Amino acid sequence: MKIIASYNIKGGVGKTATAVNIAYLSAREGYRTLIWDLDPQGAATYYFRVKPKVKGGTKALVSGHQDLDDLVKGTDFERLDLLPADFSYRNMDLLLEDNKRPTKQLQKLLAPMAIAYDYVFLDCPPSISLVSENVFRASHALLVPMIPTTLSARTLAQLVDFLEGHDGLGKTNLMPFFSMVDRRKHLHLHLMESLPQSFPSFLKTSIPYATEVERMGITRMPLPAYAPSSNPVTKAYEALWQEIKAGIKGSAIWATEG
Amino acid sequence: MNEFNQAYLVPDGTDLQGIKDALEARCRIGEDEPRHLLRRFHDTFDWSLYLAGGVLEERIDGHHRVMMWRDLNDEVPIFACELERDLGFAADLPPGPDTERLARLLGIRRLLPLLDVHSRILTWRLLNEDDKTIARLELEQNRYDDKARERQGPISTRLRLHAVKGYEADFRDTARLLNEELGLSLVRTDLLLEALASAGRKPGDYSSQLNFRLDPDRRADATTKEILLHLLNTIEVNVPGTRENLDSEFLHDLRVAVRRTRSALTQIKDVFAPDVVEQYKDAFGWIGEFTGPVRDLDVYLLDFNAYQACLPEPLRPHLEPLRDFIHAHYGEEQKNLVEHLDSKRFRDLLRDWRAFLEASVPESSVVPNAMRPVLAVADDRIWTLYRRVRKEGRAMTPASPAEDMHELRKSCKKLRYLIEFFDSLYPKHEVRQLVKLLKVLLDNLGNFQDLAVQADHLRQIAQRMRDEDRASTDTLLTMGILVGDLLEHQHRAREEFAHIFAGFDSDEHQGLFKSLFDSQKRQGKGE
Repeated sequence: MKIIASYNIKGGVGKTATAVNIAYLSAREGYRTLIWDLDPQGAATYYFRVKPKVKGGTKALVSGHQDLDDLVKGTDFERLDLLPADFSYRNMDLLLEDNKRPTKQLQKLLAPMAIAYDYVFLDCPPSISLVSENVFRASHALLVPMIPTTLSARTLAQLVDFLEGHDGLGKTNLMPFFSMVDRRKHLHLHLMESLPQSFPSFLKTSIPYATEVERMGITRMPLPAYAPSSNPVTKAYEALWQEIKAGIKGSAIWATEG
Repeated sequence: MNEFNQAYLVPDGTDLQGIKDALEARCRIGEDEPRHLLRRFHDTFDWSLYLAGGVLEERIDGHHRVMMWRDLNDEVPIFACELERDLGFAADLPPGPDTERLARLLGIRRLLPLLDVHSRILTWRLLNEDDKTIARLELEQNRYDDKARERQGPISTRLRLHAVKGYEADFRDTARLLNEELGLSLVRTDLLLEALASAGRKPGDYSSQLNFRLDPDRRADATTKEILLHLLNTIEVNVPGTRENLDSEFLHDLRVAVRRTRSALTQIKDVFAPDVVEQYKDAFGWIGEFTGPVRDLDVYLLDFNAYQACLPEPLRPHLEPLRDFIHAHYGEEQKNLVEHLDSKRFRDLLRDWRAFLEASVPESSVVPNAMRPVLAVADDRIWTLYRRVRKEGRAMTPASPAEDMHELRKSCKKLRYLIEFFDSLYPKHEVRQLVKLLKVLLDNLGNFQDLAVQADHLRQIAQRMRDEDRASTDTLLTMGILVGDLLEHQHRAREEFAHIFAGFDSDEHQGLFKSLFDSQKRQGKGE
């Protein structure tokens, strides 16, 4: 089982669209796939038409009293399951702190899922917190969607600093890529040229800005489920998934290998 | 069926719209485009998967081709995987621990398509208030297609209910509706079994093993015809697979049935006119001869890895030209075999033999054993042959020539075949014990004989390879080592003979033979 997080300190950069669409492509390709909506806003949960509710709330979940598997919901797509969001996730930081190994609790909770899934995608809330650190430690790769703006470049630098400053996180398989790209904007083009030079792990695929992606909220399903492969954005997500798969093979950390 | 995956039988004439309406009264229904699924069932010719309680399906759904291994009457797969190449031998299966059990069941046999089931599937998705799918129903209209026998037709329609994880309560509600309100009952018969039955096929109907249920008081000539007819059926049923060389067991089973036929003809003595016996003994001898060369090559190919394994590691690659040589000559020998199988002589032989066997026995016969009860004839013949084996075995010394060992082996084989023909006339447990005993003795004698023949044959092949300039010095030397190894094993078999024969000839076993087959002794006991 490989765990891939879609993460950025900033919000509104396309984290949920990335997690939902890539998880869908993974399942469509035949992998048993789980997506865990860790964001209390529950956008991924909404896209899959599932109620944002977890029995017993975050407390039961984080304490380990509730089996993760019992909380999983099947989506409308074969091999793709969802662990829904719950509004109480907003308190996850506090509850994690109560554990013996507060930064490795997520990793521990996910370990038993290795029997049922090939890929687990974590849709993370923005910010940098104890939940984020749990995500970093549990994941084999960190997908970081970035709008090509100067502020984004800054948050990426902050993330790298954070990882390098924490034991065991320096070798995190960081996979930044450009999202919501508007090729008419000079700044976008400029940053897309310059930023990967400072961060060699940048993925080559970028996701264009398109209203098609926004329609996910109306159709309430992953983009490739309603937009055919001829659609440039679908095509971009397909290329991104292939690049992620190739990149994860050489992943340095293999923390929760099942 | 498992707890969250159930199939219901939809009887002919059921109002399908009525089912849908009843469901729609409870919740909204999303309908997917109808799709077509092809299930191709596979098994070996001798039904090894079916006999092990398994079903192997190849599922073709759009562009996907999946292999699915499951238990009979349980549609949840034990494993399923994408199929990249056609199914055939164990070595063609996708690698992995899951396929190992399957490979063991196949042994050296090839998977062959049994029949196809075509399904038109209509999917109804049960939706909640958010239009989220909470359960799936697949209405499956099925047709079987038995291409080999050119038979096809409809089989039962099934309605499959699948749970969506996390919505098990909705699954249970729907199951209750289907069962209690709509009166649908769960499917009891595996789709494969239903399709086979509709095609008029009986699973497990071929086995190379003999399994007669003989009447001890029936006339010996009629009973012998029954035995020979079964053997003829076995020969005929293996001809197509032998012609196409689907796997080496077709030819093997055919040859065994031919050998058994000759043995029954000559060893169940004096039940047919002598000219009939002479004529068919020679005719079946001819089949034995023309099928021999391909079988020899099959044995080499089957044993090749074992040959290589008994050589020191660095020499093993030098044996590869031998494999190439065998493959190069295989086609030629197979062609020759097919020509014989297609010949008028062969066809006439089987036709005339069948006509003889199917004709009623004459009301009265002057052939001495023809009209005797079969049990009496079986007793006499087995007892006589047993005494012959015993006499020949006891006379064997370390100095006896190889021909004597060969003669003893022939007598043993005849004895074993006779016991197997007539085993239903005797107590099962005791007869099995004796057959096992004979197998041990035959293995030893077979090793002695076959290893010598193989060693000799290998020397001849080495000569031919040299003549055709197809063997390097290293290859010839390696084959020489192999010949030495075979002769060494043969020598060991010869050394072991005395010990193995002593086991066969123990007081206990002598007593068992006597009590079972010596009719005088049995009569003396008043049995």
